[in-house]
Amino acid sequence: MHEWKPVTDRVARIREKYRNTRPKVDINRYRLVTEFYMNNPQLTGILKRAKNLRNLFENMPVLVNEDEVIVGWQGASYRCCALYPETSFNWFMKELRAGTIPLRQQDPYDIDPEDEKYLLETGDYWDKHSMSAIVDEYMPRYHRDNMIGNGVLFFGKKDNCQSPVGHFVANFWTATQKGFGAIQKEAEDKMAQMEEDGIFGDDIYKYNFYRAISIVSEGIIHWSERYAKECERQAELCQDPARKKELLEMADCLNWIMKNPCRNFHDAVQCIYLYQLSMCMDGQQHGISYGRVDQYLGRYYEQDIANGTITPEYAQEILDLFYLKVAECNKIWSEGATKSGPGYTSGQLMTLGGVDKDGNDATNPVTYMMLQSSGRLVLHDPPQALRIHDGTPDELWEAAIETTKRAGGVPTFESDKVIIEALMKRGIPLEDARNYCLNGCVEPSVGGYEWAQPGGTGTESYLNIANALLLAINNGTNPMRFPGAPEPKRTGPATGYLYEMTSMDQVLEAYKTQVDFFTKWQCTNINAWESMSSFHNPLPMVSATLEGCMENGKDCQCGGAKYNSTGNSCIGLGNVADSLNIIDQVCFKRKIATTRELYDALMANWEGYEELRQIINGKIPRYGNADPEADKYVDFTASTYANGINRATGPRGRFSAGCYPVTANVIFGWFTWATPDGRKCGEPLSDGISNVQGMDKNGPVSFINSVLNFDQSEYGNGTLCNMKFHPTALQGEGGMMKLRSVMQTYFDEGGMELQLNIVSSDTLRDAQKHPENYKDLVVRVAGFSAYFVEVFKDCQDDLIRRTEMSL
Amino acid sequence: MEEKTLTGKLYDIQGFSVQDGPGVRTTAFLKGCPLRCPWCHSPESQAFYPQLSWISMRCQGTELCESRCMKACTKNAIELGETRLDAKTQEPLQMIHVKRDLCDNCGDCAEVCYPNALFISGKDYTVDELCARLLQDRRFYKNSGGGITISGGECLYQPDFVVEVLKRMKAEGIHTAVDTTGYAKWEVVERVLPYTDLFLYDLKHMDSATHKAVVGVPNELILENAKKLAAAGAKMQIRIPVIPQFNNDEDNIRKTAEFCLELGDAVEVVQLLPYHNLGVTKYLRISDKPIAEATPPSDKQMQRLKALMEEVGLPHVTIH
Repeated sequence: MHEWKPVTDRVARIREKYRNTRPKVDINRYRLVTEFYMNNPQLTGILKRAKNLRNLFENMPVLVNEDEVIVGWQGASYRCCALYPETSFNWFMKELRAGTIPLRQQDPYDIDPEDEKYLLETGDYWDKHSMSAIVDEYMPRYHRDNMIGNGVLFFGKKDNCQSPVGHFVANFWTATQKGFGAIQKEAEDKMAQMEEDGIFGDDIYKYNFYRAISIVSEGIIHWSERYAKECERQAELCQDPARKKELLEMADCLNWIMKNPCRNFHDAVQCIYLYQLSMCMDGQQHGISYGRVDQYLGRYYEQDIANGTITPEYAQEILDLFYLKVAECNKIWSEGATKSGPGYTSGQLMTLGGVDKDGNDATNPVTYMMLQSSGRLVLHDPPQALRIHDGTPDELWEAAIETTKRAGGVPTFESDKVIIEALMKRGIPLEDARNYCLNGCVEPSVGGYEWAQPGGTGTESYLNIANALLLAINNGTNPMRFPGAPEPKRTGPATGYLYEMTSMDQVLEAYKTQVDFFTKWQCTNINAWESMSSFHNPLPMVSATLEGCMENGKDCQCGGAKYNSTGNSCIGLGNVADSLNIIDQVCFKRKIATTRELYDALMANWEGYEELRQIINGKIPRYGNADPEADKYVDFTASTYANGINRATGPRGRFSAGCYPVTANVIFGWFTWATPDGRKCGEPLSDGISNVQGMDKNGPVSFINSVLNFDQSEYGNGTLCNMKFHPTALQGEGGMMKLRSVMQTYFDEGGMELQLNIVSSDTLRDAQKHPENYKDLVVRVAGFSAYFVEVFKDCQDDLIRRTEMSL
Repeated sequence: MEEKTLTGKLYDIQGFSVQDGPGVRTTAFLKGCPLRCPWCHSPESQAFYPQLSWISMRCQGTELCESRCMKACTKNAIELGETRLDAKTQEPLQMIHVKRDLCDNCGDCAEVCYPNALFISGKDYTVDELCARLLQDRRFYKNSGGGITISGGECLYQPDFVVEVLKRMKAEGIHTAVDTTGYAKWEVVERVLPYTDLFLYDLKHMDSATHKAVVGVPNELILENAKKLAAAGAKMQIRIPVIPQFNNDEDNIRKTAEFCLELGDAVEVVQLLPYHNLGVTKYLRISDKPIAEATPPSDKQMQRLKALMEEVGLPHVTIH
């Protein structure tokens, strides 16, 4: 039986502090970056980024808090966030001037008045110097002139790509086992050789790259040593002999790691945390993931236990302290973007379990310790993804299900079988595909070996296929009308109006034309971004370990990695599948309404057509119930989008389709006109690969049968499937076994990912009314979990609707 | 030819049915039952004919739909009823009331009720249709050690249909269970026996007079069938609904346990199912007569009854 062991007092104290500290904006990073950029206009490209990072390593405050063993921080106070102005800053300045940052409903932040003053004085510098400003200039002409307001793509005229990159996994094996001392030496040796031979051809780019690698490697070693000094300083002042000893051990660890290969479990945990933090500090802290943490740490743990140099309890405590540091990480987003990822989450996903490169079960003691930490600390962050295969041990299944009950939706469950197949389809050989991990929310990549860029440009990587359908039946014009805005104009291909269409084939053809057009532009625009990002925003700190980069002498953003791809995601699969079927049923098969009537009903946002809307909602079979008639267009919808994406290529390699929404389904819903599935303008779009909210009336087995109607192995960038279970459905002997068997069946039959909410809608409603009683209620939102009481009302309502059992 | 037109009357089919036998199952609920257990949580399972059901929570008020149901009814069986408050707007909504003495369950009103507040409980399925539906979920049976369950009502009152469905499922290699009150002719029970891997067998009271007084039929046939099944080598899960003031006294539970013990190895497990009141509101969906509500037995009491049965010598007693 799985059991929850008690946490130590200091772990409890830090967790309490974590839950009770309101995040604030810290401007240390901002000030250093701004001054560096202002003072060094002569620096560009990778050298600028490398020196900028070294400057941070040398000058960021070093914070070692009471009770901590695993250290490293992004500012000067507990649970503060850093700012990343070199990416985009207009949104921040707008909110700062409006004074809304400490007051906003979702994820508010405090700012010190003096810091605010400095920000107001300097912030406008970034208006013309951020990546976002550069990308705006390089957006393709046709898109800029003809496509604004289409509603399918998120790209606009201005302020594009505000939260790009993220969603990568460095090679932590190299970081822990080789160390940056050796990496720096390798870079220096290559440079020395080149200098001796003369640098010809395009070798000069390699030379520049190695130079950057040397700079950041030296920098991170120095940064770690600064933390060691701080530990020594505190040790000197410390009255408590036990803590004094601990601080000295911490100093020893920090002086050693980064330069040298890790010696033990403590070294390895500190090393992966600090290395990860350095990448967060360099890039945008957003979806930067840890990869297979149990695989990095397992050998050190087992070695230390065998040597008798660590106890299981102390190792677990170190892991707890590590998890609390990761949970503490957060970054401020724009108020709008916050609504697609609410709850102060930084999405630093960890992967556990699965098979090794030979296909054998890779579970080790650390796998269990990770679940223990998540569950006993009731943390929504760091998110965890458990890889499931035929040989996943029973005890691991049990521990995972117990954890997901306690820390709602942590871990998610991933199918080795389907994901490995999907990765092989994008050209990765079996042995490396077996080493995959999940990035950000649910996006598979070969951590440490692949630059998969699943997050692409950020929000712009989402494609709203519900709107593509609306354009298909409205002659290429987005019907969404905003008060005071000019009359909408045509932005997509002129595919005619629904009332001109006389057969379902015409509707399908029109939809496919729109999706083909917009997937083309989606990928084109992302490529435009990448052409600039790879030059202005290389990531030498990641490239230092990522397989292929050192060998090729190329940054990861420039195609240096062993494997390359670019991810994408659609939103509204359930709405489109249902809408197509409803057009077919209502207009062509059952002739309940003419195409003109349905068109008019849509344009009127159903006003005056309530009867038709009710027939659609009540009398037409819907996706999610294993009704073959209703599920007829699921595969068409899924493959139309996936084909459009999967055939596109970027500067580094091919694109890869996905379907996961964070909570962007709610946000996109606000800006999507009424759809044929009975949805009114402004209501949320469907979630992940699920049916329209509340339309699954036949329970989880029928739901899964419906979802399995399309080939998920074409979705190499991940699918997201939220499943709800009423706690009472899993009562009694074997209830959990039954749940497990349902998941196993899903995976056997082609399902990629599952995440669970085992909570009743009554509980969630009560939590809305009495948040004070549910402070620690963690629920699965989308690609991440959150404390229910900390997410915005519309999102809470969406969760309740999804959790509702049918009457 | 005859076989193809054979139909059964069902009021529900439930996938991920986790309380009706081992593993993940899909359960077909057949309509009609000779017993009238006052605690029955599926009142729509009792009558052998289709019935008009009405769920007030789904009804959006006659103002919105302009009383479509009333207009569709040719029997004048629907009138205006009470009002209820809309959960969101807190505005009163005008509900309807079905005059059961005039309603002949024709379903005309349900056709035009788009939110499905009015609907017909009870639909005919051919053997092919039901088998296709049950097979749809077969991939879930394999991993969980599950299968299909034929339940009711009393499914043995539609024996030709049930035998045919079970036969087909066995031929497909699927685990089959029959959930029964045991109140059927032995000749019928005998017919399903070869195709049934497990009987979920209800025992309600050991005293026949009490049994008859409360559920409407005596218990001799039930007990006798149980013994015959055991003797014939059937596998059984005995299910005892624990109903306050009816069968939860220690004397009856002890006697029930002794009876189960007599059945010997046939009994794999004895389940004590505590009464719950979730079915109470369902009665108003199909009639004007509310049903008496009792207090569910406490956990402590259930544990005591379980211990009692174990004392008698039953090795495997569960609650739920």
